[in-house]
Amino acid sequence: MRKPRLGRALVHGAAVTALAVSTMMSTSVLAQSVDISQWSPEYVRSIAGTEEFDTAAQCGAVTPLDYQGKLTFWYQGVFEGDPDLLRQYYKDFFVAFRETYPNIELQEQALTYNDLLDKFRTALLGNAGPMMVRLQILGGVEFASKGYLQELSPEDVGWKTEDFWPGAMKSVMWEGKTYGIPTNNETMGFIWNADIFERAGLDPEKPPATWDEVVAYSKQIHDTLGIAGYGLVARKNAGNTPYRFMPQLWAYGGGVFDEADPNPTYEEVRLDSPESKQALQASYDMYVRDKSVPVSALTNQQADNQPLFLAGQVAMMVSHPSDYDVMLDLQAKATGADKEKAQTVIDNMRYGLIPTGPDGRRAVVFGGSNIHILKPEYVDGGVVDEAAAKAMTCFWTSPEWSLKMAYAGSNPGNLNGFKTSWMKERLENIEFLDVTTAMLPYGVPFPALPVTPEIMNIIIPDMLQNALTGAMTVDEAAEDAAQKVRDLTGGGGL
Amino acid sequence: MTTQIGFAGAPAQARIVRPSVLQQIWASRADYLYVLPAIIVMLIVIAYPIYYTIDLSFFETPPGLQLRDKNFVGVENYATILSSNVFWRVTLNTVIWTFASTLIAFVLGYAAALALHRDFAGRAVLRAILIIPWVISAVAASYIWKWIYHSDFGILGAVMVQMGLVERQPNFIDNVHTVLPSLIVVNIWREFPFAMIMIMAGLQTVPEQLLRAAKVDGASTWQRFWHVTFPYLSGVSTVTILLLAVANFNSFIIPWIMTGGGPSNASHIWITHIYELAFGRQRWGVASAYSVLLFMILMALGYFYVRALSGNEKREHGA
Repeated sequence: MRKPRLGRALVHGAAVTALAVSTMMSTSVLAQSVDISQWSPEYVRSIAGTEEFDTAAQCGAVTPLDYQGKLTFWYQGVFEGDPDLLRQYYKDFFVAFRETYPNIELQEQALTYNDLLDKFRTALLGNAGPMMVRLQILGGVEFASKGYLQELSPEDVGWKTEDFWPGAMKSVMWEGKTYGIPTNNETMGFIWNADIFERAGLDPEKPPATWDEVVAYSKQIHDTLGIAGYGLVARKNAGNTPYRFMPQLWAYGGGVFDEADPNPTYEEVRLDSPESKQALQASYDMYVRDKSVPVSALTNQQADNQPLFLAGQVAMMVSHPSDYDVMLDLQAKATGADKEKAQTVIDNMRYGLIPTGPDGRRAVVFGGSNIHILKPEYVDGGVVDEAAAKAMTCFWTSPEWSLKMAYAGSNPGNLNGFKTSWMKERLENIEFLDVTTAMLPYGVPFPALPVTPEIMNIIIPDMLQNALTGAMTVDEAAEDAAQKVRDLTGGGGL
Repeated sequence: MTTQIGFAGAPAQARIVRPSVLQQIWASRADYLYVLPAIIVMLIVIAYPIYYTIDLSFFETPPGLQLRDKNFVGVENYATILSSNVFWRVTLNTVIWTFASTLIAFVLGYAAALALHRDFAGRAVLRAILIIPWVISAVAASYIWKWIYHSDFGILGAVMVQMGLVERQPNFIDNVHTVLPSLIVVNIWREFPFAMIMIMAGLQTVPEQLLRAAKVDGASTWQRFWHVTFPYLSGVSTVTILLLAVANFNSFIIPWIMTGGGPSNASHIWITHIYELAFGRQRWGVASAYSVLLFMILMALGYFYVRALSGNEKREHGA
């Protein structure tokens, strides 16, 4: 269902990719398991299905398949905004693990993105954590810096560090040591409804090229059709908010620190820079001045915007390729006229690259998750079954399962996953995957600091809410947030 | 109580000697043994957490360090809280939330109980329906109300537009001025059945003969309520108000699920703010100091609650 214009956009994107300055490429790319310097949708297609991997054999070399042990494991699992396809892969994964390691008694517990950090922190205070955990990408450094995690590198479970994105490996490093392994890494794309574009007098196959155009398109759509143009998300304590605002912030040249620079030091706070204020102003213009985004943006998560998009009430949003499958799931559950309306929206879904800033800078959050093993003293019972934990780590980070567990909405943490036959199958089955794989080189990892979760989950949404509700001006909100970050990194503040 | 008689030859003087505390405990040792398990459990699950929270409130707990690496800072956490603008805003929210929710829920519950005390067709069904908000899960209710209030597609706003009350969808929970009143409405909806049940129970204790006598004496409906029913319900009313106030000071689910304390802290109340400080921002020391302040207020309310209960018991026993 790819459209010719989309194809051209992707080719253009691929060309720009080669020139992109990305933090992900800040280490030697030639040693990688795949050649990141050639990264493009075409390159990904060329390597898909070129290699076979035997997960049981590879993990059996780390932990014997007849090993008898016990493992407690918490992981960030599927939530209401994920497609049913992903739910099935999660079920399949645990069935496969139990079949492969029948003598490991596994007690797994799934938690949603927004709940996992709170619960994990609380458990650690009482030395009642699980033996291992799969955390969102911004969480690992916090727990590594506090000494809760064991050193764990890809080599410990049979892989090579070069099998993983350099940017992802940064998110598991603290003071030169490695404390985890990436399971999946993702970047989002830009979705729009071509039918709404056409009815609003816009070129249906041409997405906004810049964030300034997003503001202008959103206003035109709202003024013409009376519906929301852009699906802004600004809820507090929700991972969706930084994932959607940070690309905008970086595109304008701003940042919390210098995290979007090739070699970040995280020393200079830039939230109150003119560029950061410009990015915040763009959100203010859409929400307050033009009223062209959902009023509910302050309490909405992405899962709330999905039905609005499906109902044809939101024209554009930043999201995963998995949203296409989510829309199919929602459409299947709709009835009567709603079903037809939803089908119209699905037929008119288009994916493109995330818009750039005024100077052509394009950025997206380099997201994902990492897997970690805890130190015994913080674990319920005081014991960690390391062999069992390594078996699970190897299994999840294998080319096969790091691909399958990211089938609909993400990308494999293990780069060899791109070479598997499942990747080839996925390219054929999952719409718009090209766009998000094309976005990967533009990915900017969150700052690798222990305080990053508070900055991203609380300070950034607070800044947005302060500006969008009129509690502060744009300048005041940016300066207030910058001061909070300075206080936080200085060890103080409330 | 024992009586000692003087030795022979001493002045005859009967002296009442009270046994010591230890003697009294020993005499009642079986009773203490019966309640010992409960006391041990209370010490573990209540006393120790209170002690630990108070202790932690005097320490700084930087977000980048483990809790065991805390630094003693004396009363600095209390000073930090009391000098914080956010604290005073959250406190004002908490006061508005607690008083408005408690009083309105109580008045509505009182009125509903009086109405349902009269005999009429369908009374039992109506009573069952009115109890529903109280028995359904607060989490489920919060999600339902979030969609009812939805600022773009909420059914409440749509109905208001349809009825011509407003021109466009009202903004209930994405606006700093309307969010708290909107959440209070949900809270009242959840709580008024509780007040209703309590008052209905209290109404069973009002002597019918007194009401009949007042009627025979020519008292109007209002006079019968004001001079007979209302005084009889004063005890249960006090208890109900105190229980509602304590519950509202401790509210968490509705504001947390519906708004997360936002937008821009406009619906943060003490408990949600404490939760965010502790679990979202890992300021365990500050959150503990916050909790100690809240604990002191709740203890004061608890004192009045116990006094009200004692007063009820005295009245019931004619003391």
